[in-house]
Order: sequence, then C-alpha cells, then structure tokens
Amino acid sequence: MMAAVFATLLLAFILDLAGLRQLAILSLLASLGLGVGLFLWEVYSPDYGFRMPWLQL
Amino acid sequence: MSGNAPSSITTALDRLALIAMLFVLAAILTAAMVIQYAFNEIPCPLCLLQRVAMFGCCFGLILQLRAGNSERGTGIALIFAVLLLVIAVRQTLLDIYPRPGHDYIGSAVLGLHLPVWSVVIAVALLLGLAARLALFGGGRDMAAGEAALRRSLVQPLAIYVVAICAINFLSVLAQCGLDQCHTLGYRLLQ
Repeated sequence: MMAAVFATLLLAFILDLAGLRQLAILSLLASLGLGVGLFLWEVYSPDYGFRMPWLQL
Repeated sequence: MSGNAPSSITTALDRLALIAMLFVLAAILTAAMVIQYAFNEIPCPLCLLQRVAMFGCCFGLILQLRAGNSERGTGIALIFAVLLLVIAVRQTLLDIYPRPGHDYIGSAVLGLHLPVWSVVIAVALLLGLAARLALFGGGRDMAAGEAALRRSLVQPLAIYVVAICAINFLSVLAQCGLDQCHTLGYRLLQ
C-alpha cells in the first residue's frame, strides 16, 4: 500500500514535469486518497478504535 | 499600471518566499534520508506518510511557482500541510505518554524527536502560506524576467525534489515490498 502511495506521488511529479498538469493533479489526488486511507488503517486499533485511552485529561 | 496591479518587487518577494519554502522542504527531506541511510534509522509507516505529505507540499509549491494568475498550487500545499499536521500530531500523541512496548521512535534532533519536528514544520508551513497570501495577495501574471528565474532556480530545484521522491519510492519498495511496512529492516535486502 505504501509503495502505491509513493508510486502515484512519483507519477504525479513526472507527469507535471512532462507538462501533463491535469493528469499530474489527478495522480496526486490518488496519492492523497491512498495516503489518508493508509493513515486511518495504521492508527486504527481493534481494542481502542481511533481513541487514545492513555491520554487522560 | 493600475492601483491594484502588484509591483515587480511584490512579485519578486512572492516568488522568493515560495522558493525559500520549497528549498527548506527539500533540505528537510534530504536530512530525513541522511538520518535513514547514514544512521540506519528505518522510518516507521507514519514517518513515511509524513514524507508523502511534505512531497505533496513540494508539488503544490512547484505548481504555484509555475502558475501565473492562479492559486491552485497554494491550495494543494495547504491541503498537504494540514495532512502533515494531522499525522504528526497523532504520532506525537501516540508516544507522548510512556507505556510498555511503545518507545519513542528514532533519535532526538536538538532535543525534539522527529514527529515533534514534523508538527513544527507543518505549523510553519501553514503560517508561511497564510502570510504569503496575506502579504502578497492573490494570483498575478508572469513578470518580466520570471522565465529566467524559473530556468535557473525553480526547474533544478523541482528536478531535485523529483529525484529524492524517486529514491524514496525505491527505498519504500526495498523496505516494505508491496506489503505492510515495518521498521525491522529492508524486506527485499534480507
């Protein structure tokens, strides 16, 4: 999954260098979506969900 | 020149601010890679996602430096700066309270660990982009001499950012393969 995030990010840079700006932005948005999804998957815990019970206010 | 038209000095300052932000981000990403390869500190998944957010900011800044009368690049940079802040704050909060099996990842730089530095960088980026909009206003047409500036400064910097993005992609492939990332070693090199 992380490889896909970086692959779409690199593709966005290359497309931008090649002058294909709209495709570059689409690729960047794909990277953003994958990155947000991966972040939510990484921080989710089966026990705590998205909560952080060790923080006591 | 009409009363609303930006002066050439304002345009130059605006471009310099964008170039400075891009240069600092490229330097930070380079420093992260030096820490990874020279000190063998393998980045965690959230650390890699923070790099993605920084590269996204770089993309927005490069787009903005090429743009004339558009603020699309600034918008993209702001989105990724917010993403960087969210990820960095979450990672900082994960390790802020000592608990078994959750040591702080990586070493400290000037007394701050890298996720905390990411919070500082994200806040600085948000403030910098907001200050740029507040001081220099909206989009403008290309000023005279801007094409030369782009050829001499922006294009090499953009190519450098693409090169370190490519190195990061190869590094992620070596570390994670096509699977979940771990900090135990480079999966493809074992």
